[in-house]
Amino acid sequence: MSTYFRQLGAIVAKDLLLELRSRDRISSMGAFAVLAAVLFHFSLDTSTTRPQDVAAGLIWMTLIFGGLLGVGRTFHIESQDGAMQGILTSPAHKDAVFLGKTLANFALLFVVSLLVLGVFTLFFRLELGANVGWLVLVLGLGSLGFVALGTLFAAVSSGTSMGETLLPILVFPLLVPMVVYGAGTTGRLIAARPFSEVEGNVKLLGAFALAALAAGAVLFRYVVEE
Amino acid sequence: MPETVPAASSVESGVVLEARGLVREYGPVVAVAGIDLSLAEGDSLTIFGPNGAGKSSLLGMLGGAMRPTRGAVLIRGQEISFSDPRWRHRVGILSHQGFLYDRLTAEENLRFYGRLFDLPGLSERIGERLERVGLAERRTVQVRHLSHGMRQRLGLARALLHDPDIVLLDEPYTGLDPSAAAMLRDVLAELRDGKRTVVMVTHNLKEGLESATHVAIQVAGRLAWRGSPSELDSADFGRQYHAVVEGEA
Repeated sequence: MSTYFRQLGAIVAKDLLLELRSRDRISSMGAFAVLAAVLFHFSLDTSTTRPQDVAAGLIWMTLIFGGLLGVGRTFHIESQDGAMQGILTSPAHKDAVFLGKTLANFALLFVVSLLVLGVFTLFFRLELGANVGWLVLVLGLGSLGFVALGTLFAAVSSGTSMGETLLPILVFPLLVPMVVYGAGTTGRLIAARPFSEVEGNVKLLGAFALAALAAGAVLFRYVVEE
Repeated sequence: MPETVPAASSVESGVVLEARGLVREYGPVVAVAGIDLSLAEGDSLTIFGPNGAGKSSLLGMLGGAMRPTRGAVLIRGQEISFSDPRWRHRVGILSHQGFLYDRLTAEENLRFYGRLFDLPGLSERIGERLERVGLAERRTVQVRHLSHGMRQRLGLARALLHDPDIVLLDEPYTGLDPSAAAMLRDVLAELRDGKRTVVMVTHNLKEGLESATHVAIQVAGRLAWRGSPSELDSADFGRQYHAVVEGEA
């Protein structure tokens, strides 16, 4: 078992180190998040719509579209010099490879989700108050579910001629339940409703994330093995 | 036509690597059309063949990089399993790609693969391998700053990091300048220590014959000719090669 976690840790450490050096994905996701928040801010007619009422949905859309920019390129670093072949012909467990890449993606997207929450709070003048911790939890669970599905389907799309353009077509339908519960929960927390009111939704988001992780860990080997 | 690469084998006969009826199809295209071979400890098989002959597909199946459509690969009598990866410790693979990350240093690349193989004494092992391929001075240099020859040597260090007893080489001389090729030749010569089994796929007749105990020519997915270098007039092998390829085409 310790070998398994050492292999998983090697994948996480390698992916984060490569991202730290290139900053390719985090910079594109971060820039998208800020620009989307600015555009949404200017596109709202505040005389007819209160920004607080639409912020939750826009936060989740920004997170998902921004996340696609980074998650879609998950296997780009492995395609250079055939590195994926090197991993697949090593004794590393395929599910450890999947979980490692998913956790590295989660670390990146979680940072982006905090940025998204920050810029929307600023531009939409949200008052998060005592619910800020719960909002971070909700976005964290949403990010985890999203990257689990995104990493699996990025592996699928990277092996096709359509590449990253295929990813949203594959992932978006599966994200519907997460967006429904995530955006609804976020909206209520922004509206300063008590956590007890959304506790069930948060548990569902957690269950969705765990189910996506488990499904990805099981299915990944069938996606990457020739 | 000499048959020095026997098809039948058993664990008792010292066979290390065995292929039984290997077939690989890509839709309607048959890349490997039923290949049997068996290699013992110390054997070094070089497979020549034109582009599209299925050499890389054969090597991919021998190394467990891809599943055969039909047939089986056995290592020391045990059929390789895709669900239990422990046998992968026995196999080292080097292709014309090094499986390296551009933005990691030479040392970081080897450390990453060493952790995937869960190797003990990793720091000492990495130092020794880098020394062996002449890259000790470049251990902290990112791979993107290394020449093609240096990358190929680092790829060889990666392939041998876990001290495999089966080494698979896919066009290892591709794109190398003469000095880099000489360095690679020296390291490959060290592999012929009688303890390892080596399979090399190459277009390079001279390099391929030099290191082989067995030679085969693969055409259209089949091993159309098998022999040993001792039976060959190496100066005439080019003509023989073309005759086999054209005869089978």
